[in-house]
Amino acid sequence: MEVIRLEHVEKIYSDNGVPVHALRGIDLRITQGEFTVIAGPSGSGKTTLLNIMGALDKASKGKVFLEKEEIGEKSRDEISAFRLEKLGFVFQAYNLIPVLTAMENIEFTMMLLGIEEKQRRDRAREVMRELDIEELADKRPNEMSGGQQQRVAVARAIVNNPSIILADEPTANLDSETGANLLDLMEKMNRDHKLTFIFSSHDRQVIDRARRLVILKDGLIERDGNGNAAQ
Amino acid sequence: MLLTIAWRNIWRNRRRSVIVLVSIVVGIAAVMFNDGLSIGMIRQMLENSIGSHVSHIQIHAQGFNDNRVIQNVVPKPAEVESALRNTAGVQHWSPRVLSFGLLSSALNSSGGVIVGVDPEREKDVTTIRRSIVEGNYLTGAAHEVVIGNRLADKLNVGIGDKVVGMASALSGDVGSDLFRVAGIFETVSSEFDKAYMFTSIDNARSMLELEDRILEYAVIVRDINRVEAVAAELRQKLGDDYEVLTYIDLLPILVSQVDMYKSMMYVVYLIIAIAMIFGIVNTMLMSVFERIQEIGVLMAIGMSVRRIFAMVLIEAGTLGIIGTATGLALGTGLLLLFSSIGIDFSIFSEGLTSFGVGAVIYPRLTLDTVLNVLIIIPLTTVLGAVYPAVRAMRLQPVTAIRYV
Repeated sequence: MEVIRLEHVEKIYSDNGVPVHALRGIDLRITQGEFTVIAGPSGSGKTTLLNIMGALDKASKGKVFLEKEEIGEKSRDEISAFRLEKLGFVFQAYNLIPVLTAMENIEFTMMLLGIEEKQRRDRAREVMRELDIEELADKRPNEMSGGQQQRVAVARAIVNNPSIILADEPTANLDSETGANLLDLMEKMNRDHKLTFIFSSHDRQVIDRARRLVILKDGLIERDGNGNAAQ
Repeated sequence: MLLTIAWRNIWRNRRRSVIVLVSIVVGIAAVMFNDGLSIGMIRQMLENSIGSHVSHIQIHAQGFNDNRVIQNVVPKPAEVESALRNTAGVQHWSPRVLSFGLLSSALNSSGGVIVGVDPEREKDVTTIRRSIVEGNYLTGAAHEVVIGNRLADKLNVGIGDKVVGMASALSGDVGSDLFRVAGIFETVSSEFDKAYMFTSIDNARSMLELEDRILEYAVIVRDINRVEAVAAELRQKLGDDYEVLTYIDLLPILVSQVDMYKSMMYVVYLIIAIAMIFGIVNTMLMSVFERIQEIGVLMAIGMSVRRIFAMVLIEAGTLGIIGTATGLALGTGLLLLFSSIGIDFSIFSEGLTSFGVGAVIYPRLTLDTVLNVLIIIPLTTVLGAVYPAVRAMRLQPVTAIRYV
């Protein structure tokens, strides 16, 4: 099932009045359960592409469909609701809410969805158990290591069973062993729950795990095909 | 959970929040104290005027208040006294005769008001007996007079000294009598103490040729909040030949001062609110700018801009509520303490007694003050957070997340 479709997407930034073409016409289709890595050198447009797929940024031209709904015409509130229900984000800098504990961070999006407290506690515990981070429940981000924070961020991203999880350089701030463990976890989530993962990364170990690898260069798709993990 | 986030965010920068809270608390306590002190002062002026002479209600012949001549006597004193006895709201009453006149001693003269009273009844109506500082209150004996200390000073008389009172008598002739000073009183109003002398009603009647006539009935009601109702009942019983005036009619300037002060207090609240708004805007803007990346993340994970807006307002509102509760507690505590022990302004006593306030002022805590604080301050803190909240709403997640 198609979860994301991009048609002739362009993104033009203005840099002090000078137009900069970050994306020059991207056509891309992602189906459910994919484990896709968007790679490419710095400035190739991979983060811009991920932001547009995550409805964090708008395309200058072209159309973006998330679960067959065109998001370009949606209001800010509708896009917020869409992100809340359909998307999960894992950021390079973890970006947990510092004043909340791990448990509360995981519960947060469920609270935004209006799920009652007991139900969200149960679901958060379930996810924490699955990711083996139960002992972190009452810790705040500043009491956790980077790897622990990123696991909590993954738990936050998957807790609402989103259609797509977008991960922007998720291992960039982690040592290789912690990064590998995190990727193991994400692969397991992908395998066990058919969650769709889309990564933006230039980390070799992330690229090596790709089942589909999209390589960008100068705002264009240079290569789109099977990754190492697919072989 | 938004409340939890708001609460914890407030304490992320403890020092800044404490500074804001202290400014709110001190501001509230100060404005409450100022409010209580001013209301206390004006009320004291009002109560002192009521207590020293005016009383709650005065009954005269119709038109007496506008034309205070001795010929304008109460038409049927027995009718008035019967009405007073049969009105449940009336607690005490006292008949009076009074006239403007001249008091003279061997050394000096002074204009003033000569008041003839029933000593027994008058002591329940005014504070004159309690205000005697030298000598004694009236016993009802002939030629006794009690005068204010300022008048005594001016006439240079003391207890037992002679003074001559002169005033227009009923016939139009000048009536006069020789009195001996039996007592000297000192009220909180130096102006009153300069001008009034009291003698027994029989003595005054004799001097003014009034026989058994009465010029004024001074009335104290059981419940001051029902003074208008009691006055209306008396008006209804007495008819158009009489004027029944409450202290509100008799002291219009003081009463309007209370109302005017209430209006002025709103100006003070407005000034405090404006100052507070700037503080809150500054604090909340700093709080938002420090959390741009975090707000970007909240937006990215699906928090709507309306919730972002609400979150900032809740934070400011929480600060406002904590500040208001603490400030209200402090202000109330201070007002309750000083309303019982009073604040001694002896250093300004000359000025204060001129206004009939007294050297010791007892601040008053009123429901108006509490309601004003409860409504205006939290509302102000929330209003102060609107601009920072709008700034937070306008952030774009894609740029906010990358903000360093």
